[in-house]
Amino acid sequence: MIRAAALLLVLLLARVTSAEEWSPPRLAFGDPDLQGTWTNATITPLERPDEIEALVVPPEEGHRIEKLVADLYAAVDDVPAGKLEAGEDVGGYNTFWMDPGKRLAVVRGEIRTSIITDPPDGELPYSLRGRAQLVKRFWRLRKADDPETRLLGERCLVGFGSSGGPPMLPVLYNNNYQIVQSPGFVTILVEMNHNARIIRLGAQHRQGPIRPWLGDSVGRFEGQTLVVETTHFHPAQSFRVSLTHAVYMSTDAKVVERFTRLSAKEILYEFSVEDLENYRQIWKGEMPLLAAEGRIFEYACHEGNYSLTNILAGERAKD
Amino acid sequence: MLGSALLILLGLLLPVRMESHHSFAAEFDADAPVLLTGKVTKVEWINPHAWIHLAVQQPDGSVADWMVEGGTPNTLLRAGIDKNTLAIGSEIVVRGYQSKDKACAPACKANGRDVTFADGRKLFMGSSGTGAPRDGADPRERAK
Repeated sequence: MIRAAALLLVLLLARVTSAEEWSPPRLAFGDPDLQGTWTNATITPLERPDEIEALVVPPEEGHRIEKLVADLYAAVDDVPAGKLEAGEDVGGYNTFWMDPGKRLAVVRGEIRTSIITDPPDGELPYSLRGRAQLVKRFWRLRKADDPETRLLGERCLVGFGSSGGPPMLPVLYNNNYQIVQSPGFVTILVEMNHNARIIRLGAQHRQGPIRPWLGDSVGRFEGQTLVVETTHFHPAQSFRVSLTHAVYMSTDAKVVERFTRLSAKEILYEFSVEDLENYRQIWKGEMPLLAAEGRIFEYACHEGNYSLTNILAGERAKD
Repeated sequence: MLGSALLILLGLLLPVRMESHHSFAAEFDADAPVLLTGKVTKVEWINPHAWIHLAVQQPDGSVADWMVEGGTPNTLLRAGIDKNTLAIGSEIVVRGYQSKDKACAPACKANGRDVTFADGRKLFMGSSGTGAPRDGADPRERAK
């Protein structure tokens, strides 16, 4: 027991020492260099499942979860021979088209079971009003009478869920972000849906009626950490639903993000969401942004968006 | 306890209850499963979803044009798939569901739940991620 504790202490100290030794490079104009292509793909969901109490699981449990998930993914592709059954869920397409990650998120050396860290139970702390708003929006999706009532992702306006954020959350695929810096600005290009969020450093929020997609972001550096505050969200972006999360946020919600580069291959991404219209408290989360292989690909969603037409035509066929 | 907890976690991760990019349940008819065998006539490697076109021989000898919906080409590019992987003229077998709109204009449409070459080799397989996407259009599909 004592030996195990000592080993753990040594490992922790080694990690801290390593982190302290690594100093992120700085750009020619002095800002810490966050540039590159990063991914937040992970099988850790935003909210912790009800029956899992711990935010952190030991490595052996983490590996077991990852293997179970991989086995289940494989089983999904194992479609029994013959014609599919009528009355089943129509499903979608092979899992080969998906890229949600294979690993649980690791933050500060801990294997995490939810992105949410606060509240401690790992669940979105919806107020009654917030929950009602969410249900109302889901209810509206029963019909496809009007393209403007469909999800923004279906309309190719922003990525589904909160992929573009903020907060930037992982979805089914295309969980890639490119950070580009210039004096006074940090730009985050979100592959899903090819949106660019321009963060104005040292600026104040814009006043007036303009509410851009992904909100109005201003930022500053605190030491090595980029701190970004975003508000003035577009009303249509309140409802953010995806594979692993269903978030409803008011247009005046305030999201604070912190980007701290820990190594050449990792940025620690922390965020808090303040929206007391829809949540009982400020909620917080954290996850790694890992260096992505390859580059961002264009996601010119509008060009081939047959699906929205098909959805609307399907509703008319029901009439 | 932990077993059921894991199942819940997996339930959240697998796209069986929530929204994908587009609502497949709104687009396709669960009461119209299709089993198509035909030759590839065109592949549209486009976002948000690729479409494979194929000519399907009908029992009466005529040929029907079908187009089958896949996922984003971005993922395939990262997996090393490119436009040469699926050659025009390849014979494939598609299992899926026909679109709710059955006007078949300009072609009949279906989702490619499972796509194989005629000799049984799997196409676009490899379990790089999750299962078939469902959507959140039906509130009953929500996990929690």
